[in-house]
Amino acid sequence: MGTSRRSLAREQNQTAYLFLLPWLIGFFFLTAGPMLGSLYLSLTKYNLLSPPTWIGLDNYVQILTNDSTFSGSLLLTFKYVFISVPLRLAFALLVAVVLNKGIRALGIYRTIYYIPSLLGGSVAIAIVWRQIFDSTGAVNKVLSWLGIQGPSWISHPDYIVYTIITLSIWQFGSAMVIFLAGLKQIPADLYEAAQVDGARKWNQFFSITLPMLSPVIFFNLIMSIIHSFQAFTPAFVIGDGRGGPLDATMFYTLYLYLKGFSFFDMGYASALAWIMLLIIGGFTAIVFVTSKYWVFYGDNKEGR
Amino acid sequence: MKQRILIFLLAVLMMVVTACGGGTSAGETNSGGSNSGSQVGEENGGQEQVELRVMWWGDQKRADRTNQVLELFQKKYPHIKILGEFAPATGYFDKLNTQLASGTAADIFFLGGNVVDYANKGVLLELDPYVGNELDLSDMDKSMIQYGTLGGKLLHISAGANARGIVLNQKLFEQAGIPVPQDGWNWEDYARISKEIADKLGNGVYGTYNFTVDGMDIGLKQNGKQLYNIAEGKPGFEEADALRWFKQWEEMTTSGGVVTPELAVSNPPSDPSKSLIVTGKVAMSLIPSNQLAAHQSLTEDPLTMVQLPRGPKGTGVVFESSQGLSGYAKTQHPKEVAMLINFFINDPEAAKVLGNDRGVPVTSKNRAVLEGEASEVDQIVYDYTSRVSKATITEPFAVSYNPPGFAEFSKLAETSVQEIGFGRKTVEQAVTDFYSGTLKIFESNQ
Repeated sequence: MGTSRRSLAREQNQTAYLFLLPWLIGFFFLTAGPMLGSLYLSLTKYNLLSPPTWIGLDNYVQILTNDSTFSGSLLLTFKYVFISVPLRLAFALLVAVVLNKGIRALGIYRTIYYIPSLLGGSVAIAIVWRQIFDSTGAVNKVLSWLGIQGPSWISHPDYIVYTIITLSIWQFGSAMVIFLAGLKQIPADLYEAAQVDGARKWNQFFSITLPMLSPVIFFNLIMSIIHSFQAFTPAFVIGDGRGGPLDATMFYTLYLYLKGFSFFDMGYASALAWIMLLIIGGFTAIVFVTSKYWVFYGDNKEGR
Repeated sequence: MKQRILIFLLAVLMMVVTACGGGTSAGETNSGGSNSGSQVGEENGGQEQVELRVMWWGDQKRADRTNQVLELFQKKYPHIKILGEFAPATGYFDKLNTQLASGTAADIFFLGGNVVDYANKGVLLELDPYVGNELDLSDMDKSMIQYGTLGGKLLHISAGANARGIVLNQKLFEQAGIPVPQDGWNWEDYARISKEIADKLGNGVYGTYNFTVDGMDIGLKQNGKQLYNIAEGKPGFEEADALRWFKQWEEMTTSGGVVTPELAVSNPPSDPSKSLIVTGKVAMSLIPSNQLAAHQSLTEDPLTMVQLPRGPKGTGVVFESSQGLSGYAKTQHPKEVAMLINFFINDPEAAKVLGNDRGVPVTSKNRAVLEGEASEVDQIVYDYTSRVSKATITEPFAVSYNPPGFAEFSKLAETSVQEIGFGRKTVEQAVTDFYSGTLKIFESNQ
């Protein structure tokens, strides 16, 4: 009996692995292989065209001790992530709560608000953004009606990052759809009970909606952080593609790209990529570790 | 029941597979087409069918002209099939680098002043064996052949020559009531005129673009230095030389008349379609002479060219290669590569189509062909370049090669200028950082 159960389990496992096979092949050949390759390259000097030469940890030492562009791009990327992620999630949640009020034709609204998420990463939208925020663009036209002379948002190093952040916030759709699904899962009787007890809408939101939604917020937070750290296209297209003006669009990924493909230093770029991986991994770990203090799974396991 | 479903699924799978098969056979039909093409080729000369890829940068106009020339070539040599690819200047070299790294670069590609970077890395085809056979250089300017000979090997054939100079928007000069400057002026004149134009016309009009970066090698040569000492493989200038040039521009900027950095970011002078010269907002800038036609075609204002303001040693400008063709070292068909390059520089029909878009032709015969039917803009360019050629007889200057690691170097230079422009660093601080960065780039690209 015991053996047959075990063999059954094995058979089931085999079937599972069979179905996983396409993903496994993709993972090992398209992800893990190149990743190991880049780990090796990060320990070499490799100019793309001649064979790499082993230099040990020199690239990492150079990056961490003697590269002001690295620290500048890291700071800029942190600034982008820490401003854009909370704003985007807050905005997504706000719209989701409004849409959840039972308006008619919800499907249409949901679709329309989701579209920017599909388009947002594209080059075309980044070019449109350039036009809107140019010194003679739509934003400054509107400001001029109010008697304000707006700066050229895309060509001054102090403002251009905010242009890119607005583009990121505008892509709130995918987070919103997930929030909306989460909101629909919250049992209505909780709200009814709160109403009977005389709780105000505001209290209901903080005491019922947010805690019940925390697993969804957790998921969205992680996805947004990873996604934002990897932002490339908006910086490449809205800036001049070389990190300018004045390195104000020199996002980490853009610096990595330039080092590798323009400046003939793929070994250095690989080292940058591994540092980025560690940073993203670190942030994800922090969110996971802290999650037990603020994520509330409605199955009573959290009440420890 | 289960079996039926299985059979149904298998049937569907089979249809999918056969559909794919159909696709492949369609592909085979295509390649069959090119096979028959090779038979035609064999009838013509008993040669095997060859396919070459050519890659260049530039706008649609240049692409149309280049494709037309490639068609002429294919008509003349039916056994060679050419695939043209092009990219805008900004992404071109990233694309080329990626293709070189993966071994899939085009058989022939265009390079500019950064040819040194590619020659150093050994990816360019040595053309010496074909000179005199497929590649006829007997009519080509000696200085241009010299330019393409790097480390004793012929690796690069210039496709056109130009001389950099100051483009002037004459309408703005007329409006300001200032006489159009003539050759022989100096930098004090330049600064004064810039300021006068900005002061008199106001309303967002400036005297000049800031060309600290694009003109740096010229500024150095005017003081007897150079950007890159190719013989010794090191920088041809000291920090003090860079400081002098940066300071000169900083002084001009503070006294007024130079385009603000913000405006230069949104309207880069390198892109004629956005250049403020064309929109009548800037009176003077530095351009290569082959770009004059592209600028003039976008504006009604009459443009002209004048030599650079003089420094202690002269104008620092020479008649030099604007860009040229190189073969890929790993090409399967080096002979055909040489044939196509030969066609580009020697064929009179090709010269007529290409015009002066990449610079004045490098062979005297083709120059004569074009001079015969020169337009008004071409006349200005010829007039300008002949003045430069004459000047260099009495005041010779070395041809400039871009230093190795040029993409990184120019990014660094641009950032340094912006740091000064946006008030982040003093000139002294910016130049110190610029120079130490330059040394670092030189070191890592040897």
